[in-house]
Amino acid sequence: MSPRILVIEDDVDTSDEIAALLTTSGFETRRSLDGGEGLKLALSEPFDAITLDRILPGYDGLEVVSRLREAGRHTPVLMVSALGDVDDRVAGLRAGGDDYMIKPFAPVELLARLEVLLRRRSAGEPQLLLRVGDLELDLVSREARRGQRRIELLPREFKLLEYMMRNAGQMLSRRMIFEEVWEYYFDPGTNLIEVHVAKLRKKIDTPGEASLIRTERGSGYVLDAP
Amino acid sequence: MCSMRLSELWRTTTARLTLLYGLVFALGVPVLLGAVYLQSSIYLTQRIDIVLQAAADTLERVPRPELPRRIEEAEAINGSLAVFGLFSADGRWLAGNLTALPAGLPDDNKPKELPLTPRARTLRITVRSLPGGETLVVGRDINQLREMRAIIASASLWSGVTILVAGLGCGVALSIAPLRRLRSMQAAAQDIAAGNLKRRMPISRSGDELDVFADAVNYMMSEVERLMNEIKGATETIAHDLRTPLTRARAQLHRLQQAPEIGAADISRVVGEIDTVLERFRALLRISELEARERRAGFSRVDLSDIARQAVDLYQPLAESQGVNLSLGPLRGVMVEADPKLLFEAVSNLVDNAIKFSGASRGPGGRVVVSLGPDERPAQIVIDDNGPGIAEGERLAVLQRFYRSEDKRLIPGSGLGLSIVAAIVRLHRFELALQDLPVGLRAVIDCTDPTEGLAELPPER
Repeated sequence: MSPRILVIEDDVDTSDEIAALLTTSGFETRRSLDGGEGLKLALSEPFDAITLDRILPGYDGLEVVSRLREAGRHTPVLMVSALGDVDDRVAGLRAGGDDYMIKPFAPVELLARLEVLLRRRSAGEPQLLLRVGDLELDLVSREARRGQRRIELLPREFKLLEYMMRNAGQMLSRRMIFEEVWEYYFDPGTNLIEVHVAKLRKKIDTPGEASLIRTERGSGYVLDAP
Repeated sequence: MCSMRLSELWRTTTARLTLLYGLVFALGVPVLLGAVYLQSSIYLTQRIDIVLQAAADTLERVPRPELPRRIEEAEAINGSLAVFGLFSADGRWLAGNLTALPAGLPDDNKPKELPLTPRARTLRITVRSLPGGETLVVGRDINQLREMRAIIASASLWSGVTILVAGLGCGVALSIAPLRRLRSMQAAAQDIAAGNLKRRMPISRSGDELDVFADAVNYMMSEVERLMNEIKGATETIAHDLRTPLTRARAQLHRLQQAPEIGAADISRVVGEIDTVLERFRALLRISELEARERRAGFSRVDLSDIARQAVDLYQPLAESQGVNLSLGPLRGVMVEADPKLLFEAVSNLVDNAIKFSGASRGPGGRVVVSLGPDERPAQIVIDDNGPGIAEGERLAVLQRFYRSEDKRLIPGSGLGLSIVAAIVRLHRFELALQDLPVGLRAVIDCTDPTEGLAELPPER
């Protein structure tokens, strides 16, 4: 069964666009144009994830998510907002949002963030060993191996690889990587993350081996078994 | 200026105050005079009563046959103001200058005021009943007291009227000047509202409250004018800078419309142009967020060495990929009060710029050093590069929104990096300086808190 997504967004065009994007990507969507109605829907029907605009008529986004959490619902919530300041983000996450995305956004970014949220939800037991193809990352001994070869990683590279392996097969945008691995929320520019990923890639793939990290032009990176 | 109407004058504070004072005086004078009158008339009446009682007592003790003669003597001594009368038990006149027994005589021993109709006099009278049944009346004309009352009443009335009229006159006279100034201020305000942002409130140089107010308004207007000009400049550059990628995207789309086949590369070129536009928008939003932010919201103690170290760590791979040698100068622990994430963003932007420009101009010879600066100014982050630098005339302009030096348009970026840095620095009340090096540019964020050492001053409002 395809995942069900609730889109709470008051701008009809944006809402249309998100819904169309999600439908073509194989999601089932329900839409709501205001906060109160959206909250009612979220409480009465099962959803796998919710995208929630921050500024809404009726209840605003923060209120919707905090009421949802008060009611004991743990549906992952992706907050979408024109307010991109660190304080706004902190407010959004503190109210119970799981991720926070700034408008305007690229459609692939929205999809990627939703996928990451859905995957995090279905992750289940905490893992001690991540494995993608012949690449292994031991989260206890903090060692990385590809086949028999041991890979030396700096702390930041370890964090980057862990994030990519946890979301193997999933496109991760540069901004998502910057936010998750470095925990900074400004625009890192086009090349900055690129070179970090390139450096990691050089350590993981030696000549002759199949490349595990793929660049999606203009959008981000995917780590996946060849 | 059009003429002033009286009704308008009344509404001025000066006129109202003057009138109020006038009213208080106009009411106060009669009260004062009335009090004086009341006190003195009570005093005088008591004196008269004592005299009357004494005279009556004396005459009462005189043997009956001598009484008419003694009354005549007393009349001669006391003059026309004194009144005596002796009447038989059936009310017939026996002696004295009071020829008829007046109606409403008081009881024995109690002096009373009594109007005497025929000559419109008012008497103070005391009455004694003699053992033979006769009635002895002793009185005194107190018309002076009544006259004094009339004088005081008319004095009160006239002085009240005079004070009121003078008050009105003063009020009008005193209000004309402020009202005239108010009028010219009003005219200035209307002119400003109509769009003339250069107009200022007139100032009289007397330094009174209107001048203080006008000064404050003028200061505000200078700020408004500066901001409006900034916005105007920003809007123009935004329009210009956004039009370029949008025009290119449109041209490419137009070409694709005509093309028989559309390739993925064509589309991603258009997407690239639109991404540029979006990137600029995002940077713009970031700047307005920074400018609207409440200061010190996320402030904490920050070690500048940490910031420098993290920035170099983050940018090292990028520098390597451009063949730029990025290094860290000598560090020492320097704590400042700042928002660590924002300060890091500012330093990152400066490092990013330094790498971009020194890499583009020098290729593999590029060099960027992040340090805490020379010792004498303790709280600084300094980023040196050996790029082309910025011409002196352009240094202020590059800190504004959207400005990009003309010859550097080929280097990618939103062109807003330095504006973001400037906004962050302004938010912290730090200072950003761009200085020439023998080769290259030095960017300095001076994190000395301008309020430090001023702790005893009251906090800013």
